[in-house]
Amino acid sequence: QLVSALHNLTRHVVYQGLTKPEDILSLFPENFHQNLKNLLTKIILENASAWRNEAQASQISLPRLVDMDWRVDIKTSSDSISRMAVPTCLLQLKIQEDAALCGNNPVVSALTVELSKETLDTMLEGLGRIRDQLSAVANK
Amino acid sequence: SQQFSALTEVIFRFLTEPKEVERFLTQLSDFATMNKLSLGPLKNIVKSILLVPNGALKRNLSSEQVRADFIALGLSEEKASYFAEQWKLNSPTLTRLAVGQTLMINQLIDMEWKFGVTAGSSELEKVGSIFLQLKLVIKKGSQMENVYMELTLPQFYSFLHEMERVKTSLESFS
Repeated sequence: QLVSALHNLTRHVVYQGLTKPEDILSLFPENFHQNLKNLLTKIILENASAWRNEAQASQISLPRLVDMDWRVDIKTSSDSISRMAVPTCLLQLKIQEDAALCGNNPVVSALTVELSKETLDTMLEGLGRIRDQLSAVANK
Repeated sequence: SQQFSALTEVIFRFLTEPKEVERFLTQLSDFATMNKLSLGPLKNIVKSILLVPNGALKRNLSSEQVRADFIALGLSEEKASYFAEQWKLNSPTLTRLAVGQTLMINQLIDMEWKFGVTAGSSELEKVGSIFLQLKLVIKKGSQMENVYMELTLPQFYSFLHEMERVKTSLESFS
């Protein structure tokens, strides 16, 4: 019962985003032991931002990009043409499934994608547009 | 020899647009009727003729080599030279087509995105963090697959930076 009560208290603090000691102190009932109240408040405050960050990191989301690697290859021959020199890009994306679903064993899958130069140029155009939109939003 | 140049034209039009099979067959049968040839034997002849440019493409033959091949197969010098000329004119297009057919693993076809702000969640009442969602359309074999993922802002900037480095690298090899 004690653990459950503590859990509810900390959840409430994190959910509401309480940062001031007065706000937390006011949650305790009137005749609560003074020193214990102060001690608990101090501990909760110290950990609140870490808990908040963790909650945000484990909230439901689409699969998340965790890492990316790339390499550039030159294709020199194929079954349809015996000599050529075509550069191509291989991009490996490491994607982690929804953290909330996996608990402590996150499933990370690696996806390797090939891009031609034209595709890369188009992609960069798209990414540039995203960057411009982001700066427009940030500057508002 | 005017017949031959008309036939050559039909053949090259098909080679540069290999998806236009219907049109190719129609043009062949028109040619047959106009020149009072029967379609069956004509088709066989054209099939043999087509072997030469296809083989030439695979082996990167020059137009002189194509001409020599045709002469070796029994075509007159005039006709062989004409065909070789047409081959030279069309080879950039044909080469580009062959390169385009080359194997690509999990080719990226399209990319869509949206970004927004996470307003709240079951754990946190007010969040206010920006997320970017990407949808990549990938060709796996003959099927399309959609891959969805989320990026934080710092990840996005790092991704953009890396892609710009890839572009520089690809350009230095072109």
